Amino acid sequence: MGSGYLLRKVSSAIVTIVFIVLFNFVLFRLMPGSPDRLLRNPHITEQTRAEYRARWGLDKPIPEQLVNYVVATAKGDLGLSVYFRNQPVVDVLANRILPTVVLFGAGEVVAIVLGIALGAYSGWRRGGPVDYVGNGISLILYSMPYFVIGMLLLLLFVTALHWFPPAGLQSLGVRYASIFDELIDYGRHFFLPVTTVAIGLIGQYSILMRSSIIETLGEDYITTARAKGLKSGRILRDHALPNAMLPAVTLVAINLGYVVAGAITVEVVFNWPGLGTLTVDALANRDYPVLQGIFLLLSIAVVVANLIADLVYGALDPRVRT
Amino acid sequence: MRSSLATGARPRLATRTRVLMAALLLAAPMLVGAGGARAAGPLILRAGTTQDLDSLNPYATALVVGYEAYELTYDFLVTFGPNLEPAPGFAESWQRAADGHSWSFKIRSGMKWSDGQPATSADACFSFQLAIDAVQAGDVVGLGYIDPAIADAGVTKAECPDATTMILTSDDSSQRILQTYIPILPKHIWVKETYKTLGDAKFDAPLVGTGPYMAVEWKSGQYVHFVRNPNYWGKKGAADEVFIVFFKTADSMVQAFKNGDLDYIRGATADQFNQLKTDPTITTVVGTSNGWTEFGFNAYGTGTGKTIKGGGPSTKALLDPAFRDAIGYAIDKQALLDRILGGYGTLGSTQVPPVLVQWHTDPATPRTFSIDTAKQKLDAAGYVTDATGQRMDKQAKPIKLRLYFPDSDDTYPDVAQFIHDWLAQLGIPVTAKKFGSGDLTSLMLPPEGGKPENKADYDLFIWSWAGNPDPNALLQIFTCDAIGSSSDSEYCNPQYDQLYADQNKATSPEARKAILDQMQTIFYNDAPYHILYYDSELHAYRTNKFGGWQKQPLEAGTPLFSYSTIGYSFLTDASVQPSPTAAASSGPAPSGGGGTATPAPSATPTKPASDSGSTPLIIGAILLIVVIAVGFMLLRRRPANVEDE
Amino acid sequence: MTATATTLDPGALRRERWRLRVRGWRESGARFLHRRDGVIGLVIILAFAVLAIAPDLLVGPLQTVTTATGHKFEPPGATHPFGTDNLGRDMLNLTVHGTRISMVIGLLATVITVLVGAVLGIISGYVGGSLDAVIMRVTDFFLVLPTFVLALVLAPIILDIVGLDAAFFGIKATLFVIVIVIGATSWASTARIIRAQTLSVKERAFVDRARAIGAGGGHIMRRHILPNVVNLIVANTVLVFAGSVLTETTLSFVGLGDPFAPSWGQILNAAQTSGAPGLGIWWYYVPPATAIVLVVLAFTLMGSALDDVLNPRLRSRR
Repeated sequence: MGSGYLLRKVSSAIVTIVFIVLFNFVLFRLMPGSPDRLLRNPHITEQTRAEYRARWGLDKPIPEQLVNYVVATAKGDLGLSVYFRNQPVVDVLANRILPTVVLFGAGEVVAIVLGIALGAYSGWRRGGPVDYVGNGISLILYSMPYFVIGMLLLLLFVTALHWFPPAGLQSLGVRYASIFDELIDYGRHFFLPVTTVAIGLIGQYSILMRSSIIETLGEDYITTARAKGLKSGRILRDHALPNAMLPAVTLVAINLGYVVAGAITVEVVFNWPGLGTLTVDALANRDYPVLQGIFLLLSIAVVVANLIADLVYGALDPRVRT
Repeated sequence: MRSSLATGARPRLATRTRVLMAALLLAAPMLVGAGGARAAGPLILRAGTTQDLDSLNPYATALVVGYEAYELTYDFLVTFGPNLEPAPGFAESWQRAADGHSWSFKIRSGMKWSDGQPATSADACFSFQLAIDAVQAGDVVGLGYIDPAIADAGVTKAECPDATTMILTSDDSSQRILQTYIPILPKHIWVKETYKTLGDAKFDAPLVGTGPYMAVEWKSGQYVHFVRNPNYWGKKGAADEVFIVFFKTADSMVQAFKNGDLDYIRGATADQFNQLKTDPTITTVVGTSNGWTEFGFNAYGTGTGKTIKGGGPSTKALLDPAFRDAIGYAIDKQALLDRILGGYGTLGSTQVPPVLVQWHTDPATPRTFSIDTAKQKLDAAGYVTDATGQRMDKQAKPIKLRLYFPDSDDTYPDVAQFIHDWLAQLGIPVTAKKFGSGDLTSLMLPPEGGKPENKADYDLFIWSWAGNPDPNALLQIFTCDAIGSSSDSEYCNPQYDQLYADQNKATSPEARKAILDQMQTIFYNDAPYHILYYDSELHAYRTNKFGGWQKQPLEAGTPLFSYSTIGYSFLTDASVQPSPTAAASSGPAPSGGGGTATPAPSATPTKPASDSGSTPLIIGAILLIVVIAVGFMLLRRRPANVEDE
Repeated sequence: MTATATTLDPGALRRERWRLRVRGWRESGARFLHRRDGVIGLVIILAFAVLAIAPDLLVGPLQTVTTATGHKFEPPGATHPFGTDNLGRDMLNLTVHGTRISMVIGLLATVITVLVGAVLGIISGYVGGSLDAVIMRVTDFFLVLPTFVLALVLAPIILDIVGLDAAFFGIKATLFVIVIVIGATSWASTARIIRAQTLSVKERAFVDRARAIGAGGGHIMRRHILPNVVNLIVANTVLVFAGSVLTETTLSFVGLGDPFAPSWGQILNAAQTSGAPGLGIWWYYVPPATAIVLVVLAFTLMGSALDDVLNPRLRSRR
């Protein structure tokens, strides 16, 4: 990969992050419940209020507030949560990141593997029964909001069949007989939320992969490979698949921002203690510092994911290395 | 209802738990687990709530779950007994001085904090002094929900002449000094804090207290975990550990409870509650709340004639008791109670909840629902309709009202819809809007609130209050002094204020009651609020693991999340001392775990859910049909597609 | 050739252009009608459009708490084919009325999205230079932002700005906020697509010719670029619509909707908070959920069919 390409992508990502930080500042100064109005406890005196203002730097002119904000953000200080009574936002977020990463990591992996396999096979055996049915199902899944999938699974497997626990990460107040039991317990709690995420994503990956494979199969080098008498399986594995994968890589990264929307609703449905439930709570409680933190964190995550996708893309596809 | 412990202000943020404030986690121990652990391992109580703990700092929590957490960890000086009578807490006995100007409290000798340090009067004085300092400085500690108890009880000074004695100076003639909700904190840990800093102090688990349990772990959005305080001075309950588990929705909490993953829940909806009632392994509790849900008016300017530039009520009609009275006839309280609360509550009447039997008086002539009566009364009061049916005020301006409510309760939008429809029938259009609780508080404050944005710019509102064992906090909301702080009706009536002052000085309960009667009559007739209903607290518990559940107060209360944590101390191990329900089942449970003994936890016997058993299949079938249909459709389109190529 | 062209009267030229364009549309229409998926999508959309236009004729006025015709949680039956909700309102009534609210929000959001996206895309592509660079920088920025979280954050701000009692075209501010939020957060990809097409159209000979005879930038963009990217805009609009409906649903589900205007997402939110899943009240959310899936599916089918028909060379790799 050319260093020019690398440099360009990295610097562009950095500029975007700077933009995001500035945007974040402006956005939350516009907020109806601007930090100043958080102090609306009628019992608080003007003096106490002034002290809070000073502590949060709200008595300074805007440019100075901006500088302070940028410096603090760079140091990892995202302010204090309102709902959680002045706990640092960074701590509040840190408590919630892992469950979300696990949920969406697992869901993404399952969806990528299954979606790509389904899409590739459908495209490869275009017009076959798998293609018909698979494409139809993919389209339906693509049209379903995550929480609808989640609510249906919940109704079916929890309310009716009692196969899985309704909510949460693990059982409480349990002494596990063995690590194996503990894993099973986690597994039972993870199954439905992860399945929901995976189902929500499979559709789009499969649709994309299918059209990508079909397109690739039309390219000259595949025709050449066929002419050389290579077996179809090998053509698919060695030639078509790697090339068709490229758009999928990009989609996964671009998707991250949209997946967040799903994250929020799936977590609400399954009472999952991640960033999604935190977002909804923060919104309901007007906990703007936390919202701001979530927004910043997710935006940067998406930028970084896009950067990685660009780099991977560059590594995979020689044509991009310029 | 726990929120009642705080000052009247607190419930604004706190009360309604039916809401989904909480977030997560819960558990399914039935299958993995409880088995062998039951005999040897600790006995664990798991209580679910729909609130999400905001802080372990007593001065920084605004939630019922926060109060439960800090009361498990800390003692009050004097706590509440089974029937809310004063009971020994940090102090083992107390006495009013003969001159009536002070109280002396005897602190238990030899008491220890959970970390082994001696617990003495110095800790009590330290804790009280923080609140006294704040009150005397005209300030508050933290959110300001606890320390007004000091002012209410008239405490001006705390002295500790020796390790077992604390003297509180107070001229107040009532017994309110025995109802101060000041948690006694360990001085050796918090000694550096002042009343200004305490509200922001980090109360990180594990906490050191003298209460029955100590918080050892708080997982944000999931649970707070307590273990037994080895040095606890009082009666020990059977639970070795306690988990209070937070849920985002009542639905997931109830499902977890039915699944056997919880032993106790607070905050089921009426429908869920009814469903739980049919489960023989579950006991349901309807607690009577010491609070209400109100439909209020902005009467700013009543008595004073003051107006607010760019704010205040949109029509003078709201200041007129006759207008408010007429509206009261258009509110079908019974319909609201039945259709919104599923009947779990009491019809609303006066500002003193009927649970305070000693003080409550029913109105002599209660209003009965009749749209026609309401119309006649409006016409008679001079509020007539124009040709289009629009009701006009006395300035000949159309009456169009704004109805606001906080997002803290899922039932408010429904209530708002009812009110909207009823008032529409009177020719009064209403626009309703939901706000965050904090935003709404700020918006509703009048200029007396002291901030430029305080403009009391609203007409009608729906909200709730919860009170203390003493009715003062709820009575005080309607005094002129409360305008700018707790008053949200901006109602002002010098006669009412005089009565309020008089009842505080009343020398006998009978004399006080007589005054309270008058205050309730004035309130009901003037109608700054129409109290819609006194809502119930819906709790439920399982009896397979724990017995000895006892309500506080005995008749109308709930076992947990009540006025004090005494309910925990009554709990017994169901396998040792079989409770009636669990009797048959509480064997040694050698293999299947605690749950198998009673078939309950496996949730299979929840047969009432049989209808829900088949419904998912129907849905599955529908889904399948849709899938097949679309698959077929796509199949059919294939030829067209191929043509394209 | 040029000589004849200049002698032609402008009216005739315009008519000729129209004739060609109409013929193009007719051909596209014919090709579209050969796409069974597209046609099915269209039929579903038309059916929902009817529901949205005349809900009162079909199921009577929107039932409220005081006009509810049933008891709480009645299962589907003869009087209430879809059952009733927690306040006894007929689910069929609510779902049908929800169509109007969901579709109108979707439609307005789509209009904003496409309008902003198309205008910025055309200007950016045509003008080029530093303006292009700036617009594309901003576009990239919005492409990267997690739009849903941005929407959550923007909603209360916008509500504060437009004011609570405001109404636009009879739509209450609370709903309008959702429209603006969706529009403000999803125009970027439209802008990108339109810009790409504009760039290629710009290089064609007729644009050069128009410029040579002294046409201004605005005129060229309006009269020459726009007609040539309009196909793309149409196909994109349909796909954006599907996305808007989904976003509206999700925003309402997490509690940003208006409880007095039951969109499908709002009904699902009410179902969730009233505990319908655990109570086994499946009919509380199956009707709105099915409606959402059908509409989104229909728009997706129609959108991709239109995309193929109108822009055969551009067949996207999505």
